[in-house]
Amino acid sequence: MEDFLQKTLGWGNFTIFAISGIVMLLISLGFVTYFIYFERKVIGWMQFRIGPNRTGPFGLLQSVADVAKLLMKEDTIPKKADKELFILAPIITYVPSFMVLAVIPYSETLYFTDLNVGLLYYIALSGISTIGIVLGGWASNNKYALLGGMRSAAQMISYEIPLVISVTGVILISGSLNLRMIAMGQEGWFWNWNIVPQILGFVIFTIAAVAELNRTPFDLPEAESELIAGYHVEYSGFRFAFFMLSEYTYVYAIAALTTVLFLGGWYAPAPFLEFIPGLVWFFVKFAFVVFFLFWIRATLPRMRVDQLMSLGWKWLLPLSLVNLFVTALYMEIFK
Amino acid sequence: MIRTEELLLNVGPQHPSTHGVFRIIVKIDGEVITEATPVMGYLHRGTEKLAEALTYTQIIPYTDRMDYVSAMTSNYVLVHAVETMMQLEIPERAQFLRLVVMELQRVASHLVWWGTYLLDIGAMTPFLYAFRDREKIIEMFNELCGARLTYNYMRVGGVKWDAPAGWIDKVREFIPYMKKTLEEYHNLVSGNEIFLARIKGVGKYDAQAAIDYGLSGANLRSAGVKWDLRKDQPYSIYDRFDFDVPVGVNGDCYDRYVIRMEEIRQSLRILEQAMAEFPTDGDIMGKVPRVIRPPEGEAYVRIESPRGEIGCHIVSRGKAEPYRLKFRRPSFVNLQILPKLLVGETMTNLVTILGSIDIVVGEVDA
Amino acid sequence: MKGLVKGLGVTLKNLTGKKVTYKYPDVPIEMPDRFRGIQYFDPEKCIVCNQCARVCPTDCITLTGKKNPDPESKMKLVIDTYDINFEICILCDLCTEVCPTEAIVMTNNFELASYSRDDLFKNMQWLSDNNTLVRQENNSAMPKVAKGGATE
Repeated sequence: MEDFLQKTLGWGNFTIFAISGIVMLLISLGFVTYFIYFERKVIGWMQFRIGPNRTGPFGLLQSVADVAKLLMKEDTIPKKADKELFILAPIITYVPSFMVLAVIPYSETLYFTDLNVGLLYYIALSGISTIGIVLGGWASNNKYALLGGMRSAAQMISYEIPLVISVTGVILISGSLNLRMIAMGQEGWFWNWNIVPQILGFVIFTIAAVAELNRTPFDLPEAESELIAGYHVEYSGFRFAFFMLSEYTYVYAIAALTTVLFLGGWYAPAPFLEFIPGLVWFFVKFAFVVFFLFWIRATLPRMRVDQLMSLGWKWLLPLSLVNLFVTALYMEIFK
Repeated sequence: MIRTEELLLNVGPQHPSTHGVFRIIVKIDGEVITEATPVMGYLHRGTEKLAEALTYTQIIPYTDRMDYVSAMTSNYVLVHAVETMMQLEIPERAQFLRLVVMELQRVASHLVWWGTYLLDIGAMTPFLYAFRDREKIIEMFNELCGARLTYNYMRVGGVKWDAPAGWIDKVREFIPYMKKTLEEYHNLVSGNEIFLARIKGVGKYDAQAAIDYGLSGANLRSAGVKWDLRKDQPYSIYDRFDFDVPVGVNGDCYDRYVIRMEEIRQSLRILEQAMAEFPTDGDIMGKVPRVIRPPEGEAYVRIESPRGEIGCHIVSRGKAEPYRLKFRRPSFVNLQILPKLLVGETMTNLVTILGSIDIVVGEVDA
Repeated sequence: MKGLVKGLGVTLKNLTGKKVTYKYPDVPIEMPDRFRGIQYFDPEKCIVCNQCARVCPTDCITLTGKKNPDPESKMKLVIDTYDINFEICILCDLCTEVCPTEAIVMTNNFELASYSRDDLFKNMQWLSDNNTLVRQENNSAMPKVAKGGATE
């Protein structure tokens, strides 16, 4: 992979880049399909149900059928909606969610870019999706959608900050913004992983990440029981699918990011386990993070807007600053 | 200055948290409600008017459909009113059967409330836990009277069916099981910090307001008024059993939650005692004339349904049909306080407060 | 935090718990004997006493009798038409309760869904063909008139 990236750009390797981009897109779509399947199964099991089991063997084709249904649905745009923005919003939401996947390294050899500001790139781009959500809520010309969009804006802004500050500790420790370098700094036993020195940062990061993902207990923009479906209440068919897709692509991205930043990326928890390929370790940790997200969704109730705000500004932000300060002090004195 | 406007928002009639076809028109300023007007009647079927053309036995299936989450108590209030007018003697076994099904129904009804309330608050798992256990009660009712929701079980003078073989044992087995799962429920949500932060101090009113608005049931008791008709005006055979009436202090959603959960436990206590004293044999129907014609006059009875005080007022002219029938429907009365509670709250609290009042739209609109 | 962790523990524990999903419609649900499903009607037993039609709270039963073709028989009337409108029938069980001869009884069949409202209007033929899973226990609490005698 590294050789490829070093070559000068010509038509030949441009085609290869384009193809590998498309392959990545398909892989992420496949992942999303089975995320949803996995989520429904896990939550079903936790609720004494068996989850999807009717389409295909063990219900494996359920998500495929759902997507096919969404594709075939009539494309409706409300009469009084702002048509251009209404069409644009799902695209603005989805595109960054796919673009951030570029910087995630999967193993020593498998990565798509070697960007030296990888983490910054990730955080900068993922913020753009919020604009899509707010636009979608505004353009629908629906009061519930508007409330959902506004909540989303407030939530994203207040959680982006602790998210960024909590990863700054990791950046200080590894001395790099390059996600590959951050992962490589965690080689060896599992106590070398960033989760051990950065446990506070990890907790803040997890909470803020769940809030960024708009998932329970922070799913206020959608808040089914209050705002019906929030910002995407007027969307149907494939435009709706794009919102869903971007949500699940972000689950993928955040789970991968957590693995790289805090859980040692592709490294085995102990050096003698390294005969198992790094990709497998990466996937195991990744699956655990995803499972955790589904698990809390099955358990926790939703927070209230004002509580969400006070948690973000009164707790997470000061704590992440403390974490940053302590980390900096430690680095200054001992390293 | 930016020009701001209040937003007029229709919550319902198609809304997941209004528990049926119920509508609230709210004026919101940002997310804060400045005015709320409940609109009801989407499920109005004119039960009271229909009843004037029906015989008393024919009205019983209609009462099933009023409070469809707790049909047994609605059944009972009607037959109790007619029995009071006719001064009928109810056989012991029928009394026990009635009490057992009413208390089971209270447990089932509170379980539905618990599940849907948590669903309103955003946790979806409790709903399925509650329905798993409610299903056991429903199955028992199905075995007893052949229906899962609209039982049509009680008759003037007794009950329609005797308990089938093995039914009583099933109830006996159910009590310890339910006690155990109730613990699990508490572990699942009752201590959850997010949940407690959502409901503590929300939707507060004091005892005076509760009485002024005519609230009853857990809504009244949450404000600290100890009033339970099973204790204070014992009907049926409730005076033979020993149970506590849980009372709140603050009158907020949390107190209502705690009271309802505690009522499940108290109902199980009553059931336990009833099971111990359950008569082994006896009639299930008293001596009732073939055509039920209460004497001329009026009667008003009230009992404690899971939602509060359900009353039935019959005016009879000595015919087989009532001259006028009036139900005091607790859901409807309890709903009156809603506009007062909602002002100044956020959209999120609307759902929390409405859920804690525990309405059944079939009963609100009757 | 303790409450949150407790809750997470409950859901994790139940991940492998027993599932309660019914396998319906792959496996039909067996209803208890007393279940009030679609009525079965036995024209042989009917004495055209009209009690079921009168007791019905929603007036969904309509029936007509005709003169008995067999003049020797004690019964003067036999049933001619018997219809139940399942658009409005609430399966309340009152018709079977009053029937003195158990000509109309409940069955355990409950699948009534159909694409047309017209299909819900069931006539005597249909109701007497609906003879599976007929309820066994029909002794209701109501006192019954002796066989043969009709009306109050």
